Amino acid sequence: MVELLILLLKVFLVMNLALVLGSTCTWLERKGSALIQDRVGANRAGAFVYSDNRFVNILLAPLRMAGWLGLINTLLCDSLKGIAKEDFIPEGSSKFLHAMAPVVAVLPIMLAFAVLPLAPDFYAWDYLVHARVASIDAGILFVLAMGSVAVYGIALAGWTGNNKFSILGSLRAVAQMISYELPMGLVFVSLIVIYGSLDVYTMVEKQQELLWGIVPAWGVVYQPVGFIVLLLAGMAETKRGPFDLPEAESELTAGYFTEYSGMKFLLFWLGEFCEIALFALLLALLFFGGWDIPWVTLPKDVWWAAIIGHAVLMAKVIFFCVLQIVIRWTLPRFRYDQLMNLGWKMLLPVALINLVVTAVAKVLL
Amino acid sequence: MSFMEFVLAAIGIASALGVVGFRNPLSSAFSLIVHLLSIAGLYALLGAHFLAVSQVVVYAGAIMVLVLFVLMLLNLKSESGRRIGIVRSALTLGVGLVIFLAISGPMLAQFENIPQATLEHNVKASEGTVKAIGEVLYSEYMVQFELSSLVLLVGVVGAVMLAKRKNVQLAPREGGMRGGN
Amino acid sequence: MDPITSYLGIACLLFVIGGIGICLRRNAIVLFMCVEMMLNAVNLAFVAFSKIHGNLDGQIAVFFVMVIAAAESAIGLAIILSVFRSVASIETTDAAELKW
Repeated sequence: MVELLILLLKVFLVMNLALVLGSTCTWLERKGSALIQDRVGANRAGAFVYSDNRFVNILLAPLRMAGWLGLINTLLCDSLKGIAKEDFIPEGSSKFLHAMAPVVAVLPIMLAFAVLPLAPDFYAWDYLVHARVASIDAGILFVLAMGSVAVYGIALAGWTGNNKFSILGSLRAVAQMISYELPMGLVFVSLIVIYGSLDVYTMVEKQQELLWGIVPAWGVVYQPVGFIVLLLAGMAETKRGPFDLPEAESELTAGYFTEYSGMKFLLFWLGEFCEIALFALLLALLFFGGWDIPWVTLPKDVWWAAIIGHAVLMAKVIFFCVLQIVIRWTLPRFRYDQLMNLGWKMLLPVALINLVVTAVAKVLL
Repeated sequence: MSFMEFVLAAIGIASALGVVGFRNPLSSAFSLIVHLLSIAGLYALLGAHFLAVSQVVVYAGAIMVLVLFVLMLLNLKSESGRRIGIVRSALTLGVGLVIFLAISGPMLAQFENIPQATLEHNVKASEGTVKAIGEVLYSEYMVQFELSSLVLLVGVVGAVMLAKRKNVQLAPREGGMRGGN
Repeated sequence: MDPITSYLGIACLLFVIGGIGICLRRNAIVLFMCVEMMLNAVNLAFVAFSKIHGNLDGQIAVFFVMVIAAAESAIGLAIILSVFRSVASIETTDAAELKW
């Protein structure tokens, strides 16, 4: 019974984290894009609250600050707007499938957070706490499996939209997603070859050492090519960055989002940003040492080391989220054939050669 | 049977009936996806962890995407034409029932009384972790593994050659969208 | 019936449902999906047998069945596409005669 309660608590905390990271990415996107495009961004809602009572006015100062930063606008007003909008189903399509499409698109992303460790293991009152929801045997393959299932939400969304733009956008998106799953899987296999285990926690643990005394043994040191390939494949999987042809606002009205409004659209939107957070977490865990501070060793299994480790991991995750947002807003998008060529003719051979070289090096060294 | 086994088996059987029963082929496809995911859950409960994940990645994640692609490109309506008569359906169901009893009867009778100690011993030995499957696959079944890679290569080449568009005129259709090239 | 035998019963049931689907449905893609369902039923039986006998041979067999099913699905769907191009329909009754 206690195990069940602890599991439920972990599920609650991890889902909270996933959703908070996703919402933070929405805010980062709005303000970050504003900074990059040399404008101010949203800063009106909640920035002008005032009260004649002096004490209340001082208490309202943080609210004014948050409003000026655009937090109230992004986090509160957008959600309320989404809830209040009319929710319509296109004529001639199945109501059930139209409503299920955002769920099928978002649920695998949330599930993929379950196998990723968020802090080093620590002891809390004689009980060893594993900071992940499920330690399953197939570790990182589960993330790949969830990426494969998330494709169906897009397919459903485009099909139930019942118009040409939706179907075209969704077919392109599905083709893009399944093409870029291949280099992603191959990079995971090279990581498995190096670290000798599928478990993500073991991979992070093995990155805590120092190579040759000076360089931290991070994944990016072992696999620089793999890091680049995973960065590109991850951005293509989330249909972000220069790979966002399926939702190209200027070409396809909104691609497979066309027939969605209100809360269903916000669910897609949130799912996309949670996927950005998921890939940032993957990059931080697999290639940048997770919770490792480079030349500092903290004592193991202590609760405050776990808190510090978690904070370091979150800092790295935010860094990669910002990196993805900056890449999105600085590069023009690829044409569809350029995108497919990049996936099949460039990333896949590079990932294959990387795998072969990694395997040979592991055997010889 | 434990609760999870019962739920997953019920979902599996219901979605299997959905595959056969739905008129719209797209609904059949989504029903099959649910079926594949529930079977993956059953594999995990039986201790075949690697197979469960690879079922999701290969079957539900790749094969069914291919099927969905073909369905969306062909842009079909539901089955038209003469429906199968009630007599023929009933006859098919009856023959199916007979076959089911013929298959399952002797097999289940043979495996009725497996001692509990054997099952508990077998849990450890048949635990399909990735490490265990890798050890068996790359030592005893190495030749079959290499041959299966050859089969996949033949599959890729064959699919590309068969689906390549030759210069023929398509029969006219009454609307619907043509998929991309 | 002990729990492991019920897995075999479920596998038989799914196999027969797939077989009935092949007899009753005319859409070629739904036929193909029923064949996949039969393959899955066989896979489930293999995994159950692997647990009964206590070794991993059944699970390796499932691995190879999955590989073969993937290759077969690619080729089968390509064949369906080719037939569609010449007959303009994927109902099996429309392609049942040799010419016209």
